[in-house]
Amino acid sequence: MNLMTLQRYKNEIILFVAFLFALFSFLYKHSASSYVEENRAKINRQISDILAIENYKGQWDGKGLANKVKVLKSIVPASKVQSYSKKSKKLVAKYVNLTADELNRLNNKLINMPVRITNLKIKESSKNIFTMEFTCKW
Amino acid sequence: MKILNLTAKQSNRILIHKNMEPIKLENSVEIILTPQFYTFLREELDIKFAYQAKQIAGSLFDDYIDTSLENQYHVYKCGDLWCFFAYNIKEIDLFLESVGIEKHRVSKIYFAQEFANELSRPLSLSGDYALQSVDGIVTMIPKRFLGDELEYLTLNTDKLKLKNGVTMGASLNSFVSLKETIILGSLLTLLGTSFIVEGNRIKSSIANEDAKLTTLIDENPKYGSSLLRDSILNKYKPIDTTERAKRQTMKDISRLLSSKSQLKELNINEKSISAVIDTQSPSISKQVSEHAKVKKMKVTRTGLTLKLEVEL
Repeated sequence: MNLMTLQRYKNEIILFVAFLFALFSFLYKHSASSYVEENRAKINRQISDILAIENYKGQWDGKGLANKVKVLKSIVPASKVQSYSKKSKKLVAKYVNLTADELNRLNNKLINMPVRITNLKIKESSKNIFTMEFTCKW
Repeated sequence: MKILNLTAKQSNRILIHKNMEPIKLENSVEIILTPQFYTFLREELDIKFAYQAKQIAGSLFDDYIDTSLENQYHVYKCGDLWCFFAYNIKEIDLFLESVGIEKHRVSKIYFAQEFANELSRPLSLSGDYALQSVDGIVTMIPKRFLGDELEYLTLNTDKLKLKNGVTMGASLNSFVSLKETIILGSLLTLLGTSFIVEGNRIKSSIANEDAKLTTLIDENPKYGSSLLRDSILNKYKPIDTTERAKRQTMKDISRLLSSKSQLKELNINEKSISAVIDTQSPSISKQVSEHAKVKKMKVTRTGLTLKLEVEL
């Protein structure tokens, strides 16, 4: 193709170049759109996973719980703590003769503590007097 | 046949007149039309812009040219006057073809009138005709009216400073007119630009999320691994779900208790929660039972005693 032919069809060439520009721009926009669509979901999932991990770890990794669970022993009179055994990351405790208030207090403390309650038994031993035993891990 | 070797950078200019010899071109040329191909008028008009002058050009030539033909007009300011040219591009095109000038090789068309000042002496065009300025108007004059011993002007048209030319090329050589090219080209360019801007905007729209993720991974590089993330999530997610369910159920059960509905037993293990509640009357029993069902607990009534169960 010589220069004269180019000159002869310069309008068509200009239009063709403009069309190609528009076409490639459209493809660029389309690919940007697809890229964002794919990656936004992926990135957001990664962010939510990391935040969830941090949240779960903060909640359930049991840091400092060894000390915090001591309160479960002191929250009721010592005479009512029949057994209290803390080994490694596991606590087994049994309480007797708890009044309704003491039971509520103990129960609230337990459920507000980030421990895994693997076993819990509450039984009314006599009128408004309860026994409670539980096993929890962290 | 005369062959022009047009290797010079500047386009060669050819004076076009009806007695010219056929030529063969290899490059583009600029042509200068002699008065045989245009009609010229000079007018003193109270207008400011060329486009205004061009709008009235047709009416100015009404009495001078055949208006049934499709004529083109060209106007430019010459001193205090306006110079009007009417020409028929089809006629010019046909003539150019007849002398071997392909129209796509014509890069620009000028009018001989533009260098009227140079033609104070006649310029020989052919054996019969010369070109001369008469009262400031370039005119074709038969040589027989000029003296035999007249010395003709030697003029290098390539060196003339011409600036009022007409572009022939685009509108005649192409399938698409210049106007259409400009409009369509601009629209496509505009469209393309808007796509690029939009594409960039879309791409930058996840920049914040991307930066946040990078920061989180920088703080905890090990979380960059999806395997590790999944492993940690698989470890903690069931714990979180189960423990929250246990606590929520305990709260729900405690809301069912009152002075008339008292807890007798509560058992929690890894798979289920069960509670035994004693009520004082059938109506209280029914009420507690309904509330428990709303909380999706399985209720078993035995007299005034209710057994509630929840699977974890």
